[in-house]
Amino acid sequence: MSCFASLHGRRTGAGKTPAILSHGFGTDQDAWSALRPWFEERFDVISFDLAGCGPEGAESYDFDRHGSMFGYADDLIEIIDELGVQNCVYVGHSMSSMIGAAAACARPELFATLVLIGASPRYLNDGAYVGGFDQDGLDELFKSMAANFQAWVAGFAPMVVGVDDGEAIADFSRTLFQMRPDVALNTSRTIFGSDMRDTARRVPTPVHLIQTASDVAVPLQVGKWLEATIPNATLDVIDASGHLPHMTAPEEVLRIFERRLTGLLS
Amino acid sequence: MIPSSIEALYELCGFARVACEADLVIALEVDGAGRASPVASSPPHDFSCFNLARSGVFDTKWSAIPVTANAFRLPTAVVHALPDMPVSLLFVPAPVEHAPQSGLLLLWTQPPSPAPLVEHVRLLASSIASTLASRREAVRQVAMRDQFNDLLESVPSGIVLFDGDGQSAMINERAAGLLACSPGFHRASELVAPMRALRERCDNHAELEAAYASQVRNVHYAAIQHWVLGDRTYEVDTHPVSGDDQHGRIWLFTDVTAELRIAAKLRGLAQSDPLTGLPNRRHFEERSAQILTAAGTAGRTVALLMVDVDHFKQINDTHGHPVGDAVLKAVARRCRDVLRDQDLFARFGGEEFIALLTLATSDETRVIAERLRGAIAETSVVVGDLSIGVTASIGAATDIPMNSAISGILEPLIAKADAALYRAKQGGRNCVIVADGPA
Repeated sequence: MSCFASLHGRRTGAGKTPAILSHGFGTDQDAWSALRPWFEERFDVISFDLAGCGPEGAESYDFDRHGSMFGYADDLIEIIDELGVQNCVYVGHSMSSMIGAAAACARPELFATLVLIGASPRYLNDGAYVGGFDQDGLDELFKSMAANFQAWVAGFAPMVVGVDDGEAIADFSRTLFQMRPDVALNTSRTIFGSDMRDTARRVPTPVHLIQTASDVAVPLQVGKWLEATIPNATLDVIDASGHLPHMTAPEEVLRIFERRLTGLLS
Repeated sequence: MIPSSIEALYELCGFARVACEADLVIALEVDGAGRASPVASSPPHDFSCFNLARSGVFDTKWSAIPVTANAFRLPTAVVHALPDMPVSLLFVPAPVEHAPQSGLLLLWTQPPSPAPLVEHVRLLASSIASTLASRREAVRQVAMRDQFNDLLESVPSGIVLFDGDGQSAMINERAAGLLACSPGFHRASELVAPMRALRERCDNHAELEAAYASQVRNVHYAAIQHWVLGDRTYEVDTHPVSGDDQHGRIWLFTDVTAELRIAAKLRGLAQSDPLTGLPNRRHFEERSAQILTAAGTAGRTVALLMVDVDHFKQINDTHGHPVGDAVLKAVARRCRDVLRDQDLFARFGGEEFIALLTLATSDETRVIAERLRGAIAETSVVVGDLSIGVTASIGAATDIPMNSAISGILEPLIAKADAALYRAKQGGRNCVIVADGPA
């Protein structure tokens, strides 16, 4: 089975330019529902579920290989090679941001531009670098995840959604519950333990960063650090809150897409 | 624990990188499906696993000459470990059992000026393969030991394992709790004192000492003993286990307190009469053999008494079965109260009871039988508002058992006592008849 098929890949849309939509931790490709019509009018839209996510996600998950962000980047490159596309517009949310950046470093010719929503190259504070988390806080998070996944989701989902949007919270909770708890725990260890700052320093592709003014997972300093560090980057801070603006404030996100992406259409 | 084979692999990678002027050298353990575990690298780098199945590395016929890298799909992690995009690469296959696609991967970010040693790097293949194999074995052993430990702690028994060399020993957490020392590895000599102390704390310690003392020098000794520690009983199984030498031995401590309690309870249920709590007829027959044997050995007289409640059918018919049951319970209690602890007293069936006693002389038989009769008849049995006068007839017989013929004694003795009982009934009830002389 191809990697694209095993990750429940979908390819839709009327355009020629390929656009890859890659979701973040705890969601699946349905997270793009609000933005998908806009993309389908303009692009050749490719989406999939990250390993470990979506229905029966555990089947695609390899505890060794997906113990690193690079394992996901290898999956992404494999999909693009399978589909035989190049010069893609890549839209990644949350963990998929640095996955796309890593893939672009390894295979620059595959990517025309990267749009990274809620990106963070490192969640742990490190000296002057502010990632927003310290080790004690993360240990506490992993402990409560392992102890009672249900209870953890009930607290984590509203915090990450960050706005009083019952539907988004319900959607996010549903897809979190869809993950097998051990996979969810290992995935969050991989994300929160990652340090992709070197990747950020060498991304050869133009990058558009989008983040909300208030995001519990990604402090504003992180967006500013990425903007300053990535060789060719823009940062748009949108007037919204939470870590999932593509779900809770799609019109704000689309406004940025209109400005940043329409020039790329062939 | 870092096995020395890992250090050797780091050194081999470092040597290859310097000799070949490469930018990155990775020792890879790769299984048949292309799943690659980077085991060591130079410069050292913290790699996670990746898959090389579709990288092209295994579709290439490798010679001693590096080839251009852009024909390969290298894992993202490998590209990121380089300061720049790779330009050339060389793979030195070093197949290992169970990891047939293993080898050394060398990468250059500049077209390599042919370093003089590149063509000889293949000579490292067999060293790399054997080092990968020994590292794999070391990892396997660690994994096995971890698995063994998990197993050891999941067993509901205390385990003390002495190695075959007689020098070292290992105990799990349950055993550590019993022996009041820490779980894990110990010198064998350190466990001798705690083991002895535990045995000496046992209520049946003298019996255990005797059982084990005779076997001290026997390396093949195997036994299961009950160690009674206050209200807990442990089944302690010891037997030799194969080891490097002859001294391998395991001790398994299993708490069987609950099982023993249940077994005792079941045995009691099977042996006793549910109404009176007395031994039932079957249990009487089992126990009587012990009494007869003991009396035979001591040359003492035994007396057998058959006790039958008078007019019991009438009590039942007049007052109903619950009252009849209460009368039987009262009779049982009154008899038991006047007998000695060592006397066997059982419900033989219906309203008939049986006693087997050891006596100094047959003359005592009548005295005891009269005492029973009197105890039954002395006061009325009160059941609720009813006060029922109860009497019993008793037939008795005596014998002096011979050890050679124990099994044949009981039946004629019962028959004689039964005949005497019949005469007591005929003689007007509420009386004692002792059959003449020993059978």
